[in-house]
Amino acid sequence: MTIDTGEGAIDHPIAPTSPKALTSGLARARGRAGLWFVMPWIVGFLLWYAIPMVASLWFSFTDFDLVSNDPTEFIWFDNWRRLVTDPAVRQSAWVTIKFGALALPVAVLFPMALAYLLVTRSLKARETFRALFFMPSIIPFVAAVLIFGGIMNGQIGWVNKMLSVVGINGPSWFTNEFWVYPSLVFIGLWGVGNAMIIFIASMNSVPSSLYDAARIDGASEWQMFRHVTFPVITPIIFYNLVIALIGIFNYFLVPFVLNNGSGDPNGSTLFYALYFFRQGFQFFDMGYAATLAWALFIVAVAITGLLFWSAKYWVHYEFES
Amino acid sequence: MRLWKSFAVVVALMMIIAACGGSGGSGDTTTTSGDTGTTEDQGAGATSTTEDSGGSSGDKTTVRWFIGLGAGGQPEQEAAQREVVEQFNSSQDEIELVIEIVENDVAYETLATEIASGNAPDIIGPVGRDGSNEYAGLYLDIESYVADVDTSMWEEAAIENQRESDGTLVGLPFASYPSVLYYNRDLFDEAGLPYPPSEYGSDGTATYGEGTEWEGPWDYDKVTEIAQILSVDGNGVDATDPSFDRSTTVQWGFHWQWTTRIFQNGSYWGVGYPMADDGTADIPAVWEDEWNWWHGAIWDLGISPSQEQMDAVGDNVFQTGNLAMAATHLWYTCCIADPDNGITGDFWDLAALPANNGAVTANMHADTFRILASTEVPDEAFQVMYYLLTDAALPLLQAYGGAPADPSLTADYLAGLDERYPQGVNWQVALDGAGFADDPSHEAAVPGWGEYKVRLAELESAILSDPNLDVNAGIADLESDLTIIFEENAE
Repeated sequence: MTIDTGEGAIDHPIAPTSPKALTSGLARARGRAGLWFVMPWIVGFLLWYAIPMVASLWFSFTDFDLVSNDPTEFIWFDNWRRLVTDPAVRQSAWVTIKFGALALPVAVLFPMALAYLLVTRSLKARETFRALFFMPSIIPFVAAVLIFGGIMNGQIGWVNKMLSVVGINGPSWFTNEFWVYPSLVFIGLWGVGNAMIIFIASMNSVPSSLYDAARIDGASEWQMFRHVTFPVITPIIFYNLVIALIGIFNYFLVPFVLNNGSGDPNGSTLFYALYFFRQGFQFFDMGYAATLAWALFIVAVAITGLLFWSAKYWVHYEFES
Repeated sequence: MRLWKSFAVVVALMMIIAACGGSGGSGDTTTTSGDTGTTEDQGAGATSTTEDSGGSSGDKTTVRWFIGLGAGGQPEQEAAQREVVEQFNSSQDEIELVIEIVENDVAYETLATEIASGNAPDIIGPVGRDGSNEYAGLYLDIESYVADVDTSMWEEAAIENQRESDGTLVGLPFASYPSVLYYNRDLFDEAGLPYPPSEYGSDGTATYGEGTEWEGPWDYDKVTEIAQILSVDGNGVDATDPSFDRSTTVQWGFHWQWTTRIFQNGSYWGVGYPMADDGTADIPAVWEDEWNWWHGAIWDLGISPSQEQMDAVGDNVFQTGNLAMAATHLWYTCCIADPDNGITGDFWDLAALPANNGAVTANMHADTFRILASTEVPDEAFQVMYYLLTDAALPLLQAYGGAPADPSLTADYLAGLDERYPQGVNWQVALDGAGFADDPSHEAAVPGWGEYKVRLAELESAILSDPNLDVNAGIADLESDLTIIFEENAE
């Protein structure tokens, strides 16, 4: 790495040089020092992530039961065979997919739209609005879910009371199989502040020269967004998409807090992660729960990998340099 | 190479630190009084080091008592439990009793995790059949210990009732919680209705409103009839009026107060066992009748609250004063008065449960303490358990709201309840309910108890949430699923 100090360029002392230099005694000593600094993380990773993951993979081939008197036995692929034939797995996966189909676009597009509004120069008090929209993110989500449970209660909730003012008989948001998904998505909007802030940062980084050029060419506001803003922020869209996708795979907290993990109404909120929790921590069937967890991990990695593969067709990194 | 040595040293140090920092227990090298759970007894407070056997802490042997599987998790019960522990610890210098109070919502997972990690407590309880079924086969057989203590204060039948199906004696009688009907006197007065019957007839049946225009057999038809008068919507219209709007109900006539689990309320209509001799599921017909009735009571008549309505007012509906009748157990006395929030709970009394098909079933819950077979200090654990069942029984029973298994404690126990609820509650009708207890118990074990309960909870949820539910179709699906659960978990 070369730094221009104004008095001629100098080589930065930690800049990597030739491969030969990397194997020198000095470089090795520096490497060791660096390793000491990252050692806490490495030890933490091994103890709290790597070893438990390997252990859970092992459990998935056993009949490990937390409260069984029988010794744990290695049962090869029995749990995996059970996973393939278990109708509850199919049902919970389908519930997750249905919810994801609705929640994923909203989780990406809503904060993006919000960010676009909040970077508009003509908007007064932009900073105030940004703070207001971000503030919900700092409230514990469990508390927010409980509050929404009251706000959207079909009997006494404010939402239905407001709807009744305009003559609309509001539905039972959380006990109706159709309305429960939009309701969950609506609750999810409470936490879009983080994604919104990232989008704002990325939109602010779009070179103004690109907008100037577009304006000179007579581009409309929409055309500027479509052909200037959007391509530049595609890495951020990609990032938020991946995060949202993983969040949907692991979707647990809201249905667990709202319905105590019951899957109400009629199994329509029995998400895959809830089913995993039920097997592991209600039925204490840790072997099968580990199998469910690994199956989720494999599917999540595969779909995320697919997203990364697709990135070369629609994500534009050339602006980042 | 030196790098790897350094790494190995760091890892070893980390693991030693982690091991030293782990929670103590009977089998660990270090024990801190009450170091697990949401609340703990800090009375002893000291960290003590174990010696040869797992539970020894200095001169004292540590015995861990796990609370939360049944009663005991309510804040108002904690003080009584702490006092019992302090009294026991100060009464002798051999054993240090340590309590772990865990919220009921997470108690099962917490205990299972402790058992699996080799950090199990010595004593659990109070726990009823439901909680016990979760850990069947893990309890210590106390037969040999019982031979050395006085058990004359308990009925022989009550002791025998503590045996598991294989004959193992896993507990001694402690508390029974018969079912009874709680009713709101103010709401009956307001509606001009006679109170429900205050005593059972010789066969259990009773008559409602003797000598009045309301006179008739005290059964669920009569309950339905008067519950409609006692249910009122937001416009002040009662449920006998065609214009009654159940979506705005502000007062309900009847509810299964904290007995909404369908194997519980089904059993109030008649005893049964959900598994046939051939191992397939066979829901008792009388349970099916009740489930259909309950669904109709919520959605057609509007006399009982739906899930959404419970979410709106809180699930302790009777405490709100807007519920006329609640069928539940004696343990519910725990949670009507709430002095901290200005709820004196003086508006109610107890009455006989209604009959169904000419017979009364008053579901019974019976709690006791159990010792886990994994304990390394069984002698001391039994000594503590016996103390809890005898010397400490009265204060604990008063905190839990359980009727004593030892009849000599009944008078003192009722005096304690009268102190708390001075309106002159008819406790006798609750005690008489024991004569109509469900046998087999609605909590009789079935294979795959946890899965069984979850599957039943799904139908319960549908009854509470789905106005269009075809209950009979739901029952057919339930039986089909339960048969699979029973087969998969059959020994």
